[in-house]
Amino acid sequence: MTRPSAGDATRGEKIVYFIAIAGLLGAIAFPFTAPSGFWLRTFTFVFMAAILAQGWNFIGGYTGYASFGNVAFFGLGAYVTGILMTKAHFDFLPSMAAGGIFCAIFAGLIGLPLLRLKGHYFAVATLGVAVAVREIVSGWDSLTGGGIGLNLPINPDPNSFRQIYFFMLAALTLSILVTYLLARSKIGYAWIAIRENEYAARAVGINTTLYKTLAFALTGLFIGLAGGIYAYYNTTIAPDSLFDITAYTANPILIVIIGGGGTVLGPVIGAFVFQILSTYLSFQFPGLQFTFLGLAMILVIIFMPQGALEYLTGRRVFGLAALLQAPRENRA
Amino acid sequence: MSNDTSILETTNLTKHFGGVTALDRVNLTLKEGEILGLIGPNGAGKTTFINVVTGLDKPSSGMIAYRSRAITGAPAYRIARAGLARTFQVTKPFRHLSVLENVAVGAMFGAQGASRSTRAAFEKAEQVLVFLEMKEKTKWSAERLTIADLKRLELAKALAMDPQVLLLDEVMAGLHGSEVLEAMDLLRQIHASGVTLLVVEHVMKAIMGLSHRIVVLEFGQKIAEGTPAEIVENPKVIAAYLGNRYAKPKETV
Amino acid sequence: MNPVQFAQTLINGLMLGGTFALVGLGFSIVWGIMNLINIAHGEFIMLGAYTTYFLYTFFGIDPFLTIPLSMAALFALGYLIERGVLTWVIRAPLLVKFLITFGLSILLENLALQVFSGDYRSVTTAYSGIGLEIGGVKIASVRLAALLISILLVYLFHLFLTRTRIGNAIRATGMDLDAARLTGVKIAPTFALTYGLSAALAGAAGSLISMTFPITPSIGSGYTIYAFLICVLGGLGSVPGALVGGIVLALLQVFAGFFAPGFKDAIGFTVLVLVLIVRPEGLIGKPFYSGSEQ
Repeated sequence: MTRPSAGDATRGEKIVYFIAIAGLLGAIAFPFTAPSGFWLRTFTFVFMAAILAQGWNFIGGYTGYASFGNVAFFGLGAYVTGILMTKAHFDFLPSMAAGGIFCAIFAGLIGLPLLRLKGHYFAVATLGVAVAVREIVSGWDSLTGGGIGLNLPINPDPNSFRQIYFFMLAALTLSILVTYLLARSKIGYAWIAIRENEYAARAVGINTTLYKTLAFALTGLFIGLAGGIYAYYNTTIAPDSLFDITAYTANPILIVIIGGGGTVLGPVIGAFVFQILSTYLSFQFPGLQFTFLGLAMILVIIFMPQGALEYLTGRRVFGLAALLQAPRENRA
Repeated sequence: MSNDTSILETTNLTKHFGGVTALDRVNLTLKEGEILGLIGPNGAGKTTFINVVTGLDKPSSGMIAYRSRAITGAPAYRIARAGLARTFQVTKPFRHLSVLENVAVGAMFGAQGASRSTRAAFEKAEQVLVFLEMKEKTKWSAERLTIADLKRLELAKALAMDPQVLLLDEVMAGLHGSEVLEAMDLLRQIHASGVTLLVVEHVMKAIMGLSHRIVVLEFGQKIAEGTPAEIVENPKVIAAYLGNRYAKPKETV
Repeated sequence: MNPVQFAQTLINGLMLGGTFALVGLGFSIVWGIMNLINIAHGEFIMLGAYTTYFLYTFFGIDPFLTIPLSMAALFALGYLIERGVLTWVIRAPLLVKFLITFGLSILLENLALQVFSGDYRSVTTAYSGIGLEIGGVKIASVRLAALLISILLVYLFHLFLTRTRIGNAIRATGMDLDAARLTGVKIAPTFALTYGLSAALAGAAGSLISMTFPITPSIGSGYTIYAFLICVLGGLGSVPGALVGGIVLALLQVFAGFFAPGFKDAIGFTVLVLVLIVRPEGLIGKPFYSGSEQ
């Protein structure tokens, strides 16, 4: 993950940013080309996957803390949105915003004790929080509808799928923009310093607790927003499907690994590759897509543990040699 | 050169790791503007002393005062921002950042960091790297550096923090002949710019030549303190380094 | 909770604790020796459970007699996986190793789903319902036997690690990779052996679990999480730690199940997080993370 100095983007980076802006314009225009519902939904889910990955990128990619509890933010964002809409009869947008903010605060609060843990311990403690949150949501019948869940009001918009598409796109664009702006600010450097060597980061004057908590709160915010939008899309929310650790924690991490962690656009690239591929596989080999997912995960991690973006932009070796380099270095 | 105002003072500073006492009631005063050498055999507690003073490790007991204000137990980042910078004996670069970025991080978060924009931090980092003659390596990723350059990068990060006190943990280890002389010259220039130095070093020629005073630690305890000339004559120091059978001190130890 | 209920819950917890110790032990040695969090550990348990189920259902082999077979099969699988896959990432950063076992876990679970289907299965023998009763407290014979077998296996493993040449080589590798290599320990086969043994212990745990709980291909991830809890509660990298952690987790679960059914995992994890924060070295054992480094 050799990063160029701030200010002077490499040629590869310039091309990537150009493609990103063109991609955004294309994404805005796309629904007006009267695409089939299938493609509209597929891209909606690509965006959602990208938000979840971008959310993990703050805490995992930049700050180096591998959270395995992000599924909790997704579920809580969906539930806060759902509860506000059904019990308090709020409109969708304020409910979704409240869901995101709730998750940001929740992440900050659990982050204060949990971010003192390192490595595996942080990973599993956050996983533990996710399991505990799911049980509490399932058990709190009066508020959450228990195991059956809640039914949200149906979106009255005649073009409801198109609307959801734009909500996801907007949330994704916001998450990319925030990442882009923070990555080259003091905050971004504080995160990277913590990831690279937390002890040294403290020694150069970085308030590590503050920046780690901030990263985790941003993770919570964006994943919570995605959860809220998903709840409105799906209209039915239930604990077992919302707190799915494979779908909403493992896949986003894999997406970041595929695209490259600690980069602005890596998670988006990873989301496109991953989501399109898994949609294709589930059509081609129904029932077997998770088997392929597991296999793909193993292969990707052996051969390109630092992510695709590095293979495309920053490497000195290419092709087969680049692929074989990682397993050679990491061998027992 | 140095006046008698203490800039950093420890009182009965003690640190236990499990059953091991790494620092045992150390009283040490660093005077503003001086160069103080801190020496001792391996495992004497020199690095622990720096870790505890800079807040990276919490002391078990005792007091630390910086400019007459207690900083005992304060978080490391506060102490760093107050003007105490240190280098690591086992270098700790931000490996995937460039040399320039590594140093800029020091400039962003050190004593002057709060009032400095990111751009200004990069300018400060450039200046420091020019001063340390690393200009041609600014764009290198830190992982590509040799050990000698990593030591220099440690110094660059610390200098970019605009310290008033610099705690140097073996920045010369691994340097040879003329490199040691160059490094000594560099430290003298840093000192001349108004920085108080505490130097931990095994290269005796350097420590004897640089220091105004020297403190010797052994098994976590202060066993001697004095001018370089006094230290080389001190029988306790000679015993600590060479064992009791050496009667007369040699020039190099 | 009256005294009989209390005694019953306590006994149930202790009997479950033996199996949990076995669940945690294999996970603990791979973590301690190879510095690898094996997310696929639960899938090895699941495969052990199916081994017993199929051997019993199709060949009529007594479930307790299937334990060695299940261990042998899982040892072979673990050994091959280490040699074929994990060996390529063993020096990679923690997250990379963590994720590759996550991939293994997804792969094994879904392959099992294809082959075994998602149906619930259980192993019910002629003696499944038999038990003793002392003062109103029921002790199921299968669970009691499971406890004794667990303790025996944990003890045998402890002897293996401390008394044999190979066991010492494994422990030396865990303490210092480079020093072990210098003294002539071959790292790659040692790791494969360690991983295989861990899978074998998981297989035994799975066999025991199949006799008392229903099994499906998706039970694995739950047991991986339990294994982690057990290691953290007991303290990493010690055989007694796995035993203590297993019993503590089991007691927590049965008592939580009595007072707040439906929240037993939430309570388990709340305790985990509290232990991690308050006493990071586990209930017994050494600190497994430190605030400082040299």
